Parts: sequence; C-alpha cells; structure tokens
Amino acid sequence: MSSTYTLPVGPLHVALEEPMYFDVKVEGETVRAVELAAGHVHRGMEALAMNRNWFQNITLTERVCSLCSNSHPATYCMALENLAGIVVPERAQYLRVIADEVKRIASHLFNVGIMAHLVGFDSLFMHAMEIREIMQDVKEGVYGNRMNLGALTIGGCRYDIDEESKGFMLAQLNKLKPLVAELHNVYDTDPLIKTRTQGIGVLPLDKAIEYEVVGPVARASGVNYDVRRKAPYAVYPELNFEVQTDTAGDVHSRAMLRIREAVESVSLVEQCLEHMPEGPNQLAGFVQIPEGEAIARSEAPRGEVFYYVRSDGTDMPQRLKWRVPTYMNWEALQVMMAGCQVADIPLIVNSIDPCISCTER
Amino acid sequence: MLPFLKIMVKNLLAGPSTEAFPFAPAHTPARFRGKANHDKSKCILCGICRHVCAAGAIQMRVVEDGSGVEYVLWHNSCVFCGLCAHYCPTKALTMTDDWHMAHRGEDRFAVREDSFVRYGQCSTCGSRIQPRPAVIVEALGTKYPDRFLMCPSCKRESLAKRSVPAKPAMETSETSDE
Repeated sequence: MSSTYTLPVGPLHVALEEPMYFDVKVEGETVRAVELAAGHVHRGMEALAMNRNWFQNITLTERVCSLCSNSHPATYCMALENLAGIVVPERAQYLRVIADEVKRIASHLFNVGIMAHLVGFDSLFMHAMEIREIMQDVKEGVYGNRMNLGALTIGGCRYDIDEESKGFMLAQLNKLKPLVAELHNVYDTDPLIKTRTQGIGVLPLDKAIEYEVVGPVARASGVNYDVRRKAPYAVYPELNFEVQTDTAGDVHSRAMLRIREAVESVSLVEQCLEHMPEGPNQLAGFVQIPEGEAIARSEAPRGEVFYYVRSDGTDMPQRLKWRVPTYMNWEALQVMMAGCQVADIPLIVNSIDPCISCTER
Repeated sequence: MLPFLKIMVKNLLAGPSTEAFPFAPAHTPARFRGKANHDKSKCILCGICRHVCAAGAIQMRVVEDGSGVEYVLWHNSCVFCGLCAHYCPTKALTMTDDWHMAHRGEDRFAVREDSFVRYGQCSTCGSRIQPRPAVIVEALGTKYPDRFLMCPSCKRESLAKRSVPAKPAMETSETSDE
C-alpha cells in the first residue's frame, strides 16, 4: 500500500546551505510534487541602495553575493555607464573580463566540489576545493581579497596588471589547467558520481524554454543562450570562446558543463592577458550621473544578471533594481524534482547553483 | 579502478596543503587589502574617503575649538573594499597588508584609526583652510603653488586679478549726461 505524505524541508535544514522552504509531496521514497517558498533572508538591499551614493553602491552591490561578487558591481557600473554615456577605456574592458572570468572559474569549481560533497565523495570535494584554491590565490595576490575583488569603479577598473602579476597569473593558470582536465576526467568516469548524478533532475529542452531558465542550467538542457554571445559587452566580441551546451539536462551534465566552462574561462583570461592594450585603466576624475534610466546585463557564473537604474540627477539612485539568475532557475526545480528520490533533493537543488541570498537581496 | 584513487594517493603523499599559520608565518601577498592606515601628515581633509565609504566607517568631526578635525576610521565597521584608498587624492589612506585584526570584545571601541588633522592657514589672509602639508603641495599644487595655499575667496581674488586686464572692462565713448 502506497501512502503519500508531505515532507517539509527548511527553511533551516541540514541539507540546505541557505534558508529556503520546500514542501515536498512524497510517495514512499519518490517525490511527487514540490512547492517552494522563499523570502526568509530578505535583506532590503534595494532600499539600502537608494540611501547610498553611486560610489557606495559599488561596494554594496559587490556584497549581494560572494560567488558572483564581480558580476554585480560590473553590471551596476555598466548600467551607470550606459546612463551617463561613458566610454570605458579599452584596457579597463579587458581587466573587467579578466576579473569576471577568474570569478567564474572559482565559482564553477566550488559548485562541482559541493556536488561531490553531496554525493558523499568528500575526498573528491576536498580535491576540487584545493584546485579552486589556485584561483583563490590569484584573487588574493592580484586583487587583494579572496572573495570580494573590489576590481571595479564607475568608468574603469581599480586594479591594474603589471608584468609581475601577469606572470603570477599565467603561472597559476598553467598550474590549474592539468588539474581541471584531471578533474573533468574524474567526474566523467567515476562510477560513484555517475550513478548518483546521471539521469537525475532532468530538465528537458521544452521545459527549460517554458521556465526561461538561464546560465548553465539552460545550456545543459540545450538552450544555447549566453549573454556574452547574445548581447556582447566589454571585449567579449573580440575574444575566442565557445558557448558550452549539452542536451542531457541532468545533474551530471550541468556539472560537466561547468567544468568545461571553467576551461573556456582559463583560455579567455589567457587571451585577455595576451591582447590587453596599454593605456589608462580608468577615467580621470569623477563622473557625473545625469537624470534618466538605463539597464545593463551580463553573464554571471550562474546566468544572466540584469540591472536597472534610475537617476534623478543627484548622487544617489532613485531606484536600483536587479534580477539574479537563481530567480529564473528555482521555479524549474519543480520539474527537476518530480519523480526523483528524497535523497537526491540536495543534489538537484545544488545543481542549479542556487544563491538564495542574492535572490532575496 | 576508481579514477580518483591515483589522485588520492598523490594527495596523501603530498601531505597537508593548509597554512601552518599559528606555528609558521602565513604568506600575505603585497596587494592584500587589509587594515586601512591613515597618514595624517598627508591628509587634506577633502572628505572623499567618507563620501565613498559604504560602511560608514569613516567619521570626521571638527573639534570644539575649531583648530582641526578629529579623523576616526572604525576597523570594526570597515569592509575592506579599498574605495577610500582608491579615491584618496593624496594617498593619505592606504590599505596595508596587515590582517591581524583579532581583538577582545572589550577592546572593540579601541580598534580604530584615530588622528587629529590640524587646519591650515590661508597664505594671504590667514583664515582657516584645509591643511596643505608640504609633501602634498609638491604633489598636487605644482601647477599654481601660490594659489594652492589660499582660501577660496583669496583664490578667487587672485584669479580675478590675473584674468582682468589693467584697463577698464568697458569703455563708453558716448557719455550721456543730458
């Protein structure tokens, strides 16, 4: 006799890193339906942004989320530059791409590491985190902080790469490349990982389009959508990279896609370091933000980040609003989780790389 | 064979990769953004650091007798974004690579940069202006060293004297005195 019951997971739960409430309808060990309830870590950051001036908001938006902490200020600065009609110096554009891609590598390696941890393969988790540490050293050595790079300012970049830090960065990337290739091989062939992740949390192409998912979640389901390609910003049109896609749309394919994207990012950083022109890395003096409104979007490690800014000509925004990728992705969990096992819930949740704190901001 | 076993053995042979910190010095890169440091001898009290500080960690208060400004940077509020150091025109504020910030709870109000910056004097009329230390005059006031040391009104006066020609600005040939 089968019986259906409701399993409440969250808002605070050992399986969850961040507060999110799942109302899981379970039949035996199988999940039949999921309802999500969010809103447990609302931080009121959009209201805070309206009480801070343009410069202070660079720091504020950087603290929306640790893992995409470069994408947020970058998109915010881009929106302001669109509004004020500022042309960012070319060297700064390259520097911005480097910062973005360094963060992407670290973010993707973190996510695949956590996946190994959720599978129960903790030694692989630690190995992935150790590989990520190479990128953390880059961040600390070149930017000055392991998470919040503080790389950006309105109209340019705050940091510059000299010969010494360029050499250091290239050496670290060379150290990273074989290790990521090795990691890719492990995730691709390890029977433990494959058994736990293949065919789990499948999001078919039609559902991916219906739920309008973004980022690696969309690309693993066959949606060839990458803001860096569809709406290029900074110097992405001049760089060589392939948008990674997959058709399987399960937990495993999303993890593999992230590792492949990390490999692409390594090549992007190398290209930038090679082709970066000399010149100023920021505008001289302070910029004036005129009255008006503007938007900007960019590809964060998790997907598309969208910023809207409205100014009334003072030094504080009249409205600052942003949409983060997780907001688009988490509704699709209902599709991914239907029919899965209770034990797979954390794995599936992790596979969309959720960032609740940025979504609830 | 599990593909990870080889890596695991390699990692085991390599030994721990964590910092041995309390027992050995930890590596700190030169660009590390740690504790902020305020050099009062370079400060010109422009206040841009306070303007860009998102954390509200910087306070500037004029002391009671009006002779200068008490400059306070709270390390417990600071978020180490480094914007203040970036925008400081005289590099009076710098982010050091010092990350040893642990302290007892009772000392939380003592962990701060505390300095007193004395106001300067206008070179012409002697009124109170922002400080103009010699090192900064060399760095920022090289174009018009005299004017750099003046108060706003004396500066305006000197600019006006410079730009206005010696003759009257407007000459009228027809005098209308009927």
